[in-house]
Amino acid sequence: MDLIKPDTHIDFVGKMKKAFFVSVILIIVGISSLIYHRGPNWGVEFVGGTEVHVKFERNVKPDEIRTVLASAGYPAESVQQLGLPQDNEYLIRFSPKVVAFEQIQGFQVKVEEIFKSIVPGSKGVDILRIDYIGPKVGRELIEKAIVSVLIGCVGILLYLMIRFEFDFALGAVIALIHDILITLGAISITNKEFTLTIIAALLTVVGYSVNDTIIIFDRIRENLKKTEKRDFKELVNESVNQTLSRTVLTVITVFFVLLALFFLGGSVIHDFAFTLIVGVIAGTYSSIFVATAFVIYLKGKKRVAARGV
Amino acid sequence: MKRSSKHWITVILILSFLSVIFLIPTFAGDRLPEWWGKVFPRKGLRLGLDLKGGIYLLLGVRADKAIEHELANLKEDLVEKLNKEKILPKGFSSQDKTLTINFFSKEDLDKVRKDIEADYKDILEVEEKGLSLHLTLKDQYIKEVQRRAIDQVKQTIENRIDEFGVVEPSVQRVGTDRILVQVPGASRQDRERIINIIKRAAVLEFKIVKDAGPDKETLLKKYGVKSADELVSLGLELHPGDTGQENERYFITEHEAQVTGQYLSDARLIFDEYGRPAVGFSFRGEGAARFGKLTGENIGKRLAIVLDGVVKSAPVIQERISSQGRITGNFTLEEAKDLALVLRSGALPVPVDVEQEQTVGPSLGRDSIEKGKISMIVGGTAVVLFMMFFYKLQGVIANIALAFNMLFIMGFLSAFGVTLTLPGIAGLVLTLGMAVDGNIIIFERIKEELRAGKSPLAAIDAGYERSFWTVFDANITTLLTGLILFWFGTGPVKGFAVTLSIGIVSTIFSNVVVARVISDLIYAERRVEALSI
Repeated sequence: MDLIKPDTHIDFVGKMKKAFFVSVILIIVGISSLIYHRGPNWGVEFVGGTEVHVKFERNVKPDEIRTVLASAGYPAESVQQLGLPQDNEYLIRFSPKVVAFEQIQGFQVKVEEIFKSIVPGSKGVDILRIDYIGPKVGRELIEKAIVSVLIGCVGILLYLMIRFEFDFALGAVIALIHDILITLGAISITNKEFTLTIIAALLTVVGYSVNDTIIIFDRIRENLKKTEKRDFKELVNESVNQTLSRTVLTVITVFFVLLALFFLGGSVIHDFAFTLIVGVIAGTYSSIFVATAFVIYLKGKKRVAARGV
Repeated sequence: MKRSSKHWITVILILSFLSVIFLIPTFAGDRLPEWWGKVFPRKGLRLGLDLKGGIYLLLGVRADKAIEHELANLKEDLVEKLNKEKILPKGFSSQDKTLTINFFSKEDLDKVRKDIEADYKDILEVEEKGLSLHLTLKDQYIKEVQRRAIDQVKQTIENRIDEFGVVEPSVQRVGTDRILVQVPGASRQDRERIINIIKRAAVLEFKIVKDAGPDKETLLKKYGVKSADELVSLGLELHPGDTGQENERYFITEHEAQVTGQYLSDARLIFDEYGRPAVGFSFRGEGAARFGKLTGENIGKRLAIVLDGVVKSAPVIQERISSQGRITGNFTLEEAKDLALVLRSGALPVPVDVEQEQTVGPSLGRDSIEKGKISMIVGGTAVVLFMMFFYKLQGVIANIALAFNMLFIMGFLSAFGVTLTLPGIAGLVLTLGMAVDGNIIIFERIKEELRAGKSPLAAIDAGYERSFWTVFDANITTLLTGLILFWFGTGPVKGFAVTLSIGIVSTIFSNVVVARVISDLIYAERRVEALSI
């Protein structure tokens, strides 16, 4: 059985210019959102402070939580709904100025009372988790997070340089950066908290996005060996078409589990799954349009240079 | 059947057997028979704190304080030395890792310089500047001192947490100067107690009282000094008091403690004659001798029991005591119990700061495990049905390989005592979805080969052979990011990195070996007209 007919001849390469504009617009929107929000909405593990993860028995508006907390003398730095709306779970962050480490003991008793004033009853409020992060750890983690994403990109660049030519490696890494930017933009637009788990998801996107790219590159290389003297663009287009069914199928199976995690995995995993879903879509799209487009561009340039000089 | 397949069958069977053995404790739990533990491993998959609930504390060890102590000790040694040589120094000052002695004359300086250089040649750099000697601790020695301090802190905290009496606490070193304490099952109500037990310096000193009074200023004036620091040069020290007596809020004692908590052989909860909780302690050996000497020589005087710089009580010494004593104060039962515990486990040589804390309630973990299971079942079923529907018999082969894959991953996680965290579960579910990628790559290749006119068996051969490097390359990049995450991540994220990385290695094996072997077994004995793909 075939999901996609074996002999498709979709003109992907011809659509690359249009795709390029789509990508640029998406990235600009994402970066604008990042600028507008003044960078990612860093989670408590990065900025330091105290964070309370709470589950209410019924739906509560974030503003309601803000108001009662502020009037009790604990203004929240951010109140964020976690998971699906029906989970009624919230992540509430307090700056270290509001709750210092020494005050946590009293604070946690007080905050439960405050929440009970919104939703009374023995099962009305369940404080699932309290996190405290000192300033030193946060700073170190931000540095480490950035370094690890960079090492991830450089590592992949090096590996692809060994396995493929430099042009291919560069194309893949540009596609990778494209995916990271789009995913970051999506997290920023939805104003999700940028936590360690999200970074884990982002790095997984880095690894997975190259996956699809490699499958296509592999085929381009194979086809190059078969026939030396052909129009490179045409060859790329043929390779993308030949691997299209694989690309689509592998994405489908990953999507099955990602959707399961997104809808059923619980509040903590929800944002993680969201990041991966965006990343996998961006990754699949970019391996067809972005990575190959750059390889064509880089190869074309070399050919012009070789001919011209 | 191919010869090579036979070897692989053996490998697969051995791996499966080992995985099952390692997994049984995870599922059987306490129902395992007695003999099992003698022959096979007992420990199954461990659950992370985010799944089990409990308290997670990342402590920063103030190793720099060890250097301060080191310089203070050095200074005391030198003061003694200069006294012997009858040299009066102009003064001492210390900064970072350097102690400076200022002299009145060059002769004084020259007199001791050689001695100091010789005595401390392993630990100090000596530099002469005018009438001062700068003594700087060598970096190698500083490292050694700090390492020792951190080791000791870890050991002490370990003792304390072990005695606190919870199941499977863990105390680990993280990086160079951090200690991670995990107390599973501890609730928000236990939090303060646990932090107090861990953070308490628990430095116990016994000093003879010289004076006591209701306020600091009057006391200092009596001794003709302006600040508490000046008292030290008189061999005295000022301590705040917490004895419950209004007219004794401050004590002046001897500077040096002749007996400290390090000589204690035991400390325990007792009750005083009014039935109030107190801490009883005992000495043995050298401690008993020192304590006996201290009390024997000072009958009629008051003995200050100083805990972490505060005088807890100051009873009058009635007679020579050597082996027993007690600390009374306004303790609750719990406080006295915890104080006895920290005194037994020894003092922290340097302070620790809580840099990160997580308290997870029990409901979060239960809920997470439940939801993790559901998403695994739903996601897994979708993948399995899709493969079966789409690739028919080949899809079934892929599914069997997937089952082996999951068995290997879980077995490996159990065997190496990897801690399963919530993101770790997500990693497992994700692996379910990514694992069949390799099969799909291979199957699509087989289809292409069939279309190119190859016979079914030749197509299978070519499909597996030509796809190997594609599968390998595609997976290796994800493995790379998994390893980076392992380096970078802490706690839960590390759990994700581990499951992801192990998942990928096992997936490559299942894709290119297990699926192939099953395929060979099915097609080997008969002539294949058409592939079910």
